[in-house]
Amino acid sequence: MADAALEVQRLAFRYRQSSRPALREASFRVPRGALVLVAGASGSGKTTLLRILNGLIPHAYRGHLQGSLRILGRDPTGVPLAQRSQWVGTVLQDPERQIIGAYVRNDVAFGLENLAVPRAEMRRRVDAVLQALDIAHLRDRETYALSGGEKQKVAVAGTLVMEPEVLLLDEPLANLDPAGVDEALALVRRLVAAGKTVLLIEHRVEEVLRINPDLVLFLEDGAQRYFGPVEGFLQVAHPQEVKLPAGVAVRRLRALGLLGEPPPRRARQPEAEPLVALERVSFGYTEARPVLRGISAAIYPGDVIAVLGPNGAGKTTLVRHLIGLAKPWQGRVLVQGRDTRDASVAQMARTVGFVFQNPRHMLFAPTVWEEFAFGPRNLDFPEARVQANVERSLRIVDLEAYAQTSPLALSFGQQRRAAIGAVLSMEPSVLVLDEPTAGQDYRHYIAFMDAIVQMPFAAIVFITHDLDLAVRYANRVWLVHQGQIIADGPPEEVLTQDALLEKCHLRPTSLLRLNRRWLPRVGRFLTLEEWARRPDVSLADLEASLSVEPP
Amino acid sequence: MLVTWAYKPRNTLIQRLDPRARLIFTACAMLAVILVWDLRWLLAWLAFALLTYRAARLTWKETRRFWLVVLPLITFLVLITALTGRGGEEAYQTTHPLFTLAIGPWRWVISVEQVVFAAAQFARMLTLATLGLLIPFTIHPAHYGVAFRGLGLNDKFAVATDLAFRLVPSVARDFQTTLDAQRARGYELERKGAGLIRQIRNLAPLIVPVTIQAILNGEDIIDAMDLRAFGAKPRRTWLVELRYRPADYALIALGLLVLGGTLAAKAAGYGAFWVPPALLGG
Repeated sequence: MADAALEVQRLAFRYRQSSRPALREASFRVPRGALVLVAGASGSGKTTLLRILNGLIPHAYRGHLQGSLRILGRDPTGVPLAQRSQWVGTVLQDPERQIIGAYVRNDVAFGLENLAVPRAEMRRRVDAVLQALDIAHLRDRETYALSGGEKQKVAVAGTLVMEPEVLLLDEPLANLDPAGVDEALALVRRLVAAGKTVLLIEHRVEEVLRINPDLVLFLEDGAQRYFGPVEGFLQVAHPQEVKLPAGVAVRRLRALGLLGEPPPRRARQPEAEPLVALERVSFGYTEARPVLRGISAAIYPGDVIAVLGPNGAGKTTLVRHLIGLAKPWQGRVLVQGRDTRDASVAQMARTVGFVFQNPRHMLFAPTVWEEFAFGPRNLDFPEARVQANVERSLRIVDLEAYAQTSPLALSFGQQRRAAIGAVLSMEPSVLVLDEPTAGQDYRHYIAFMDAIVQMPFAAIVFITHDLDLAVRYANRVWLVHQGQIIADGPPEEVLTQDALLEKCHLRPTSLLRLNRRWLPRVGRFLTLEEWARRPDVSLADLEASLSVEPP
Repeated sequence: MLVTWAYKPRNTLIQRLDPRARLIFTACAMLAVILVWDLRWLLAWLAFALLTYRAARLTWKETRRFWLVVLPLITFLVLITALTGRGGEEAYQTTHPLFTLAIGPWRWVISVEQVVFAAAQFARMLTLATLGLLIPFTIHPAHYGVAFRGLGLNDKFAVATDLAFRLVPSVARDFQTTLDAQRARGYELERKGAGLIRQIRNLAPLIVPVTIQAILNGEDIIDAMDLRAFGAKPRRTWLVELRYRPADYALIALGLLVLGGTLAAKAAGYGAFWVPPALLGG
């Protein structure tokens, strides 16, 4: 059949160094010009499938490959990768690692240079693709200095310029803020409209459903669970593994009887002494451009603060001030009454624990035990206390069995827990997390955050682009916009103001819309599980409350 | 930001020249400088280097960080050589005492030769530093790969040069993130009172994560290059086009001439260590 973009039959693959197959069996047929969402948790075989389709398996990854594959009606066996890249283009998850050139135009031209395309034609094609993606203005810019969204477009341009008919996009939304997500989705739609066949691998299912994929391929544990239209997928996907729209999720949770309790909300204690206080804090990396402009706020015991706002608003710079990694130009930051300018970061670390997004940026010790002891030893804790703290942290983050394992040998999820544990052993009162869930699948990040809010921290501050995280866990929201906190209050107060959300390019999720609709009657925001347990809210009510899309 | 490229586009004669010609000329000039010890020649070279620096219209603000490292380093090396008397042994055999330097219980007899040698060494190092400095400040970072290709190195090496320019800022950023993450765990780069071995061990919390990240990133980058047909053709094309113009040929010819001339002069016994006769008169 010549009109299929991809035809896959009984495809299976086992990596050479592994005993179990990464992909057990997949059979599907993607017509030309279709938009396909590929969903599934980490380890479900998505990446392996992608590598088979683009030819990195068997070119770069050896193992046992079975089944048959036809691309655009042709058998790709033995076709060199260079030729395959003109059939199937791939945009990898992290554009940072895909961009080869130091300048935008050089990067976009890279594939054409390798194909020895004559210079004049190369110039024409590079300019055309930059035009088509509306990034002609970036042409002479350094790739290093681009924003995340811009980098992604450059990565797409570098792939599109080779004129592939099929495009594989690996988690393109993972590192984008809501405005970036909207742009990326619009771009995908345009690619499909231009006749490309697009396979979109993504955890953020709810967002992708907004652009109406034609088909969904759902993988679970290396096997194909479902292939077909969206409606069927919503019936099959597990509501605790895949982030489904709120109405669907509640219905499925009820049908499956999954009414487990979410972790209890923490009670705020705004009467207590503040743990950290920011007083009219202003800061910038260069004199010309202030990043923070007169921020005043305080963190109290019991606070679980979600820091929301567009990229570049100053969220990360703001939380770096909480531990003295950045120090204010004007105003001051007091950590338990002590000015961060008069103390070292190490001294602040006794009160504030700061965990960066990627655990691989900090894990280094020969064993997990040593890793956990590093912090308290730096703070000159007596050895008996170091021991006690390490044992306690190992228990809390559930890594006791791995105490003598190298942290580098842990799975990514375990590494993230190790990063938290390593900070926990310093007994800080405040835990600060920078985008703790970016790029994680739904089940893993819920489990991760559920565990964190139950750990013995007096207060938790986390940056996120995910409004549902704020709805589910936070009892306080900071909306950051252009270097200022433009709203500070409970989620029920802040996230119900459309003007504020719009200003910060935040788009209400289906869970937030559901909560907002029912807030007058319910009095507070509920999690999906809580909605599933509410007998007074019928399914029909739920459906009705979600049927109207916001503008 | 830890790394910013030194290069800034300016419409100067130097920047209009072809990078291949610039690299050839600079290599010839540096060799010619290294071959001689005659203070007069070296001062002439230094004047030439400073003139080029001026013609490149570089500002103190841009180059300050470079000089703040290089000037103390050169001064230190020259002083060490002068005070220990090493380095000049092959250049001169006889010495003429000039004065005695006394610091506390120590006495050094400083000779005329030592002083002149130090001056020559200073001029030589400063010239080399200036000529070298001009390269990153005046050659477009995207032009190195194609320039090296044009000089006869193979595609793989040339692409690797470009890739280095692309990756250095990323590694620097990873390093900064790791440093911040470890500082948040009470880590301090300089531990008071620690011996050398402990100081080196103390780097592990930085070096290990940065290295692991670099390896992981490297694997992805190799995949990304494969997927974009790297190595598909025996000879790739380059978007950037370099074209020799008459001025570039002239520059190459000048470089070769200077180097050839210096070699010939050396062979004829010129350019060796020279002490102003006036200093020996007394």
